[in-house]
Amino acid sequence: MPGLPLSDAEEQRLLAAFEARINAGEKIEPGDWMPAEYRRQLIRMISQHAHSEWVGMLPEGEWITSAPSLRRKLILIAKVQDEAGHGQYLYHAAETLGISREEMVDALLEGRAKYSSVFNYPTLTWADVGMIGWLVDGAAIKNQVMLAGASYGPYSRAMVRICAEETFHHKQGQEMIRRYAAGTPGQRKMAQDALNRWWWPSLMMLGPHDSDSPNTPQLKRWGVKVKTNDEVRQEFLDEHAPDLMAAGLKIPDPDLRFDEETGHWVHGPIDWDEFWRVVKGDGPCNAERLAARRKAHDEGRWVREAMAAHAQRAAQAASAAHSDGTAAEPEPSARRARADG
Amino acid sequence: MSELRPRATSDNAAPGDSQWPRWEVLKQDNERKAHQAVGSVHAADAEHALLMARTVFARRPSAVSMWVAPAACVHAWTAQELEGHAAEAVPAGPAPSEPGAASQRYFVVRKSSNRRSMTFGDLVGEVAAPTLEAALARALSEFADAPILALWLIEADAVVRSDPAVADPWFGPALDKTYKQQSIYSSSAVARKDAEEGVPE
Amino acid sequence: MSEDPGPPLPLTAAVREALIERLTALGDDELVLGHRDSEWTGHGPILEEDIAIANVAQDEIGHAVLWYELVQGLGGPEPDELAFTREAAAFHSAGLVEQPKGDWAFTMLRQFLFDSYEAELLPRLMRSSYAPVAEVAAKVNREELFHLRHSGLWLERLAHGTDESRRRLVAALDTLWPLLPQLLAPLPGDAALTVAGIYPDTSELEGAVMQRITGALERVDVAPPKAAAARSEPPDRRDRSSGGPLVALLAEMQSVARNDPLAEGW
Repeated sequence: MPGLPLSDAEEQRLLAAFEARINAGEKIEPGDWMPAEYRRQLIRMISQHAHSEWVGMLPEGEWITSAPSLRRKLILIAKVQDEAGHGQYLYHAAETLGISREEMVDALLEGRAKYSSVFNYPTLTWADVGMIGWLVDGAAIKNQVMLAGASYGPYSRAMVRICAEETFHHKQGQEMIRRYAAGTPGQRKMAQDALNRWWWPSLMMLGPHDSDSPNTPQLKRWGVKVKTNDEVRQEFLDEHAPDLMAAGLKIPDPDLRFDEETGHWVHGPIDWDEFWRVVKGDGPCNAERLAARRKAHDEGRWVREAMAAHAQRAAQAASAAHSDGTAAEPEPSARRARADG
Repeated sequence: MSELRPRATSDNAAPGDSQWPRWEVLKQDNERKAHQAVGSVHAADAEHALLMARTVFARRPSAVSMWVAPAACVHAWTAQELEGHAAEAVPAGPAPSEPGAASQRYFVVRKSSNRRSMTFGDLVGEVAAPTLEAALARALSEFADAPILALWLIEADAVVRSDPAVADPWFGPALDKTYKQQSIYSSSAVARKDAEEGVPE
Repeated sequence: MSEDPGPPLPLTAAVREALIERLTALGDDELVLGHRDSEWTGHGPILEEDIAIANVAQDEIGHAVLWYELVQGLGGPEPDELAFTREAAAFHSAGLVEQPKGDWAFTMLRQFLFDSYEAELLPRLMRSSYAPVAEVAAKVNREELFHLRHSGLWLERLAHGTDESRRRLVAALDTLWPLLPQLLAPLPGDAALTVAGIYPDTSELEGAVMQRITGALERVDVAPPKAAAARSEPPDRRDRSSGGPLVALLAEMQSVARNDPLAEGW
């Protein structure tokens, strides 16, 4: 039973049973026994993923107010809204592991939590929005499709829901960039410039090389990751390199080539110094992103408090009525909800 | 038993600056399907929770009904936690009347499969019993027609439902917002082929 | 207004022109309001409401497209041209929707006031003798139901939340209340549209809207500000002589589109 210290033998038995469930393709659900390390890794992974979605709203969100057509405006609002929604599903999944959303929000805003460093790059032009859709969401999809098979039920379910919605992000980005690559000189230049700046960050987004990824073997063993970073990166490269070139764009990698023997594309060396610098908080927009999140949170405090105060007063009125011996009335807002739908 | 699982702070109304309590959401895709557990929303009260459920889970088709219930009123067990809980020995019937023992109604959500899905489980029915333990025993016997991999008992009084009269205005418009449905965009392969063949967009 | 719209009546030149103006105003209100709402995306007070305001923004912009398409159907420019090439002086939006987004109380109250206006306007437009207007009004009305429910909830929660939320709500009302007459004032061509059964009587509409709004404020114990001195003629929403917040809004909104005038599409 949780809470009582386990003997080593008991711990081993539980661990063996846990791993057998995973190997049999069963989902681990909230309430099931799990190794402390599994819980810890999942909270880390899922909350980081959630933070990435939430922070990820900002780089593209900046361009909503200058989207150049009504259709693009609608599409971009919907896309950024989806990112909020995806963050919402992921925070929910993390909450099932016993961490609260307050704790996760605090960790992010206090700079203690990580999020995908790809969102620490600036969006300098409108075309960046399309390129993010094509590359960043393209990379994310590869990852998400893989994670949809994760052993932890709530994470898997969140990923399945996210995958269903993410494809639109990818496709609208491709549509936009293809159009610009075949458009006016200004549009073509803007598309190529966006690719020049987003290509490497997207490759890096899929994580460090396997040799530098200490968590991966354990995560694979416990069915949280099904493929390694390099495996997913290879899939991403094989799909996107030819598509980008077919659109008439030039990939900013002089060493990029197709290996006839293996049938795979090969990329040039990745500048991991830059990756680690940005991960550790020294990217172009790290400070800006967190400042924006903190500002929104601080300015929203009075709103959250007002709603909480209202709810508390209504609940007190309801329970006072109850303890008076009168028939328990549901709180006024709930009663209205039932009457009006 | 669900009480032994660590509860996230948000499950209870928190003082100070909180993210508001959590509400589990059940969504019914269409009249032919059962309500399904799709996730949760943070909201300050029941009415707000219903509006937020529609906001978060009905951005895309389809839905005809939504229910919300405070997470604190949702009692959950996994198959592991159910080991040692006996199904009711006597076939289901009205609870024996005892003076002073009011019967509580619970909605039952059951997870029956490990198949990849975006929903946790289906609303399979309801039970009534004087205690939670008795309700669980009843549910284990009544809903054993499929594997019980996980089970929820939701206090029926705590559930707030969307009014059928608002189903069209609330859930209908999502069908028209095709700009966010991936099916209207051409696939990568088609686009590449078109580009190669010089087909204009 | 006729109960059964019937086929579109042949429009006289004067009525056509008046209708184009009125439809442009309807579209402009929706576009500007949707744009203001969209400024919250990523900056909302809590994740769920961030998603909610983005929904409202999409709905309003979608409504703008519907009204603008009717303008196009009458021989006017296409929607993107209306949105991205006109100067502020050519817009017919009301000052109420143009105001910067302010704080959450301001945005929710402004939304509530506009939703209340549409709650009276749209059912009347659904009985328009001009079928395309009736059809668009029905579509818009369907989405407005949820908007009013949502903004109505916020009105009540903020009025009866904390001292601070009430203070902010009252401050927002002080700014927005004087902008209501302009929102409800008729355009010069509206009278002809009313005679044709295309658009409702504007003073009857104004009365209904103000009754709805004052009733709602009373129910949450918020008193409207003291009435401004009566004006000799209604404020003209096309009066741009003072510039106003729309100029900066459009400068941003149109910046990318105008930067590449050769672009055939985006």
